[in-house]
Amino acid sequence: MARYVLRRAGQAAVVLLGVSLIVFALMQLVPGDPVRVALGTRFDQETYDALRARAGLDQPLPVQYAQYLGNALTGDLGVSFRSGQPVTASLLERLPATLSLAGVALLIALLIAVPLGLISATRSGKVSDYVATVFSQIGVSIPDFWMAILLIVLFTSTLGWLPPSGYVPFTEDPVDWLAHIVLPAVTVGVVSGSILTRFVRSAVLESMGQEHVRTATAKGLPGSLVLRRHVLRGALVPILTVTGVQLATLLGGVVVVEVIFAWPGLGRLTYDAVAARDYPLMQGAVLMFAAVFLLVNLLVDLLYAALDPRIRY
Amino acid sequence: MRVSRWSTALAALVLTTTACSGGGESVDVGGSGSGGADASGAQLVAALSAEPDQLDPHKTTAYASFQVLENVYDTLVQPDEQLEMRPALAESWETSKDQLTWTFKLRNGVKFHDGKDFTADDVVYSYERIIDEELSNAYRFESVKNVRAVDDTTVEIEVKRPTPNLLALIGGFKGMAIVSEENVTSGDIGRGPVGTGPFMLDEYVSGDSITLTANEDYWGGAPELGSVQFTFVSEPTVALANLQSGEVQWTDNLPPQQVEALGSDGTIETGVVPSNDYWYFAANQARPPFDDPLVRQALAYGVDREEITEAAKFGLATVNQTAIPRTSQWYYDYAPYSYDPERARQLLDEAGVENLTIDFMVTNEYPETISAAQVMADQLSEVGVKLDIRTEDFATWLDDQAKGNFDAFMLGWLGNIDPQDFYYAQHHSDGANNYQKYSNPEVDRLLDQAGQETDDEQRQELYNQAVEIIVDDASYIYLYNPDVVQGWAPELKGYTVRPDRAIRFHQASLSE
Repeated sequence: MARYVLRRAGQAAVVLLGVSLIVFALMQLVPGDPVRVALGTRFDQETYDALRARAGLDQPLPVQYAQYLGNALTGDLGVSFRSGQPVTASLLERLPATLSLAGVALLIALLIAVPLGLISATRSGKVSDYVATVFSQIGVSIPDFWMAILLIVLFTSTLGWLPPSGYVPFTEDPVDWLAHIVLPAVTVGVVSGSILTRFVRSAVLESMGQEHVRTATAKGLPGSLVLRRHVLRGALVPILTVTGVQLATLLGGVVVVEVIFAWPGLGRLTYDAVAARDYPLMQGAVLMFAAVFLLVNLLVDLLYAALDPRIRY
Repeated sequence: MRVSRWSTALAALVLTTTACSGGGESVDVGGSGSGGADASGAQLVAALSAEPDQLDPHKTTAYASFQVLENVYDTLVQPDEQLEMRPALAESWETSKDQLTWTFKLRNGVKFHDGKDFTADDVVYSYERIIDEELSNAYRFESVKNVRAVDDTTVEIEVKRPTPNLLALIGGFKGMAIVSEENVTSGDIGRGPVGTGPFMLDEYVSGDSITLTANEDYWGGAPELGSVQFTFVSEPTVALANLQSGEVQWTDNLPPQQVEALGSDGTIETGVVPSNDYWYFAANQARPPFDDPLVRQALAYGVDREEITEAAKFGLATVNQTAIPRTSQWYYDYAPYSYDPERARQLLDEAGVENLTIDFMVTNEYPETISAAQVMADQLSEVGVKLDIRTEDFATWLDDQAKGNFDAFMLGWLGNIDPQDFYYAQHHSDGANNYQKYSNPEVDRLLDQAGQETDDEQRQELYNQAVEIIVDDASYIYLYNPDVVQGWAPELKGYTVRPDRAIRFHQASLSE
């Protein structure tokens, strides 16, 4: 087990190195010059050169990359062009809002997907299956920005129950935190949940077709017991896989929802960084997403072993 | 059977909780939103459409930053609501006979937010920082030879040539703010600026909000408000929902199509004022056939400005064929073009141009360029001109503009006050922003002369002459001055919408 984790960590390091190199190379290919953006429409050559030199952009590319990599190893991802703030700190600042949104949204997604998927699968072909399918179809098809606006119109403008936007840290006021997180989390959760529902349905269906399930039913075990002990357990591994991917995606930030709900998450930070060609911040954000993705995947793989006795590392 | 009942019940439960969770517990909504009200005064919550990139006034170029910094910093002089320059940190000033030395007498007893005294050295430091580090506003000191502190309360600026617009250059906006040297060298200025203004920085929560508290010792009198919190809401519908629910009391991010209706029901007050900004399009005169003035004039006759304004701004703009708006003392009423497709076709014939296709560059950074271009494409197809609209993100756009990689582009200029700023850099042969490559010796001469003329009437006359030529040559094809549109709760008193978009909360108050 320990050796397995160590080996995976080693692989992750190689992947991250590759990601950093690719990202660095891509930045050079993207048209648009960060110094020009920083200066806006007012432009003169001297100011331009001065700012370029200050940002270290006049150095040869390999030198820039080597410096970047060296600093990154010590946890220093450089300084943002746009804000002049350290990239690492800027990313970490946004982490709590992103974590809470991803967490609550995923919870909502699972609360939707697991029961709906189960109903769908166990009552395959019946009316409730169709209802569940239609629901998940709608959830996937509705654009999230539109659903967000509808929710705001309903719960804020019409009912006046919830604040339309903004973020309050949990540590500051848990009730206010909840009031602010509901709408964005539901928006994200319904979309994620709808996607997950289909996976849960097919995983459960597949699991129901397994021989040991037929044996259990033939033994005369009650349906609920078969479902809990044999079907669900078999279906958990594929469900966990998709859930892991969903979580990793959400942790990367949900740009549209963050923009609409004025949520101080990583998605908006990254989006702004791309628009301003803020290379250090872009690189840092991509590296962090890659790291989060690898970490979540590793955890998922380790959980497999806990859930399925057939898997051992 | 039991299974399905159990799961159906759970599904139903989930649906109900997701639909209304938190509903019963939500507190502090629909109220005044002034939860963190200071003991000494109410808290105003203002929703900006974007987050500042940083708070160093000399380094940022983002409007959102200046909305905040307007309340934190002072300049030597500052524009009043009619955009005439008035005393601020400088109480008075005089110019030498030869117009080459400006002497500013500074206000006594002004302190920075950290308690340090404000002196002439701070002015010298701030200006030299902009000049020596070649920061983006260094161009404003282009004619300045030397800045020196005569004594603690006197600053002398020597210029290379008479510079009648010096006050607008050093006081036009807070990018020329007087900063504190310690604040800069400590590196704190980007997130924790220390100024002399009516409010001081209290808290900056990245991505969420910036809170300022009242500076009780402000030289212009303590503000009525206890604090101001800026939040960042980029979606206009959501900003409006915030205003209607009382979460915020001020925003400049209203959905334009709703502004007219909003003003009428009394729950929200709206302020609409023509701004000093202007939007235009320009053809690349380094590329034939756009080097021919007839072709450019054809374009000027071929577009219907009223229709463009309606489409791009929902009517929240005033058409103009020059740069300076009606509200300015420098306005010159000159409008030779009308929407005349017939005339446009004739001019193209005269120029011997057929089947003209224009590579027209717009940017999604400013969506109004896209909608305006679509309308213009439609109008110009009437005269046989095809507009190929190329939409780019701003970084790429700026790159292509600098390289001259376009037939034509549309953009705006924001926040100019003095006519020299409106016309020189854009239309002088040596202008830093003459991307359309316009060159007319007569215009150069007039602009050079006007830039040194100290008599306002004479200056106005020289600019009027230059503007006529610029407009006749269609160096820029001017379209409109957008309105400044802001909305606030009726409780907010003492606040005025300004044509330069400066957001000043010093005199504002919140009634119960």
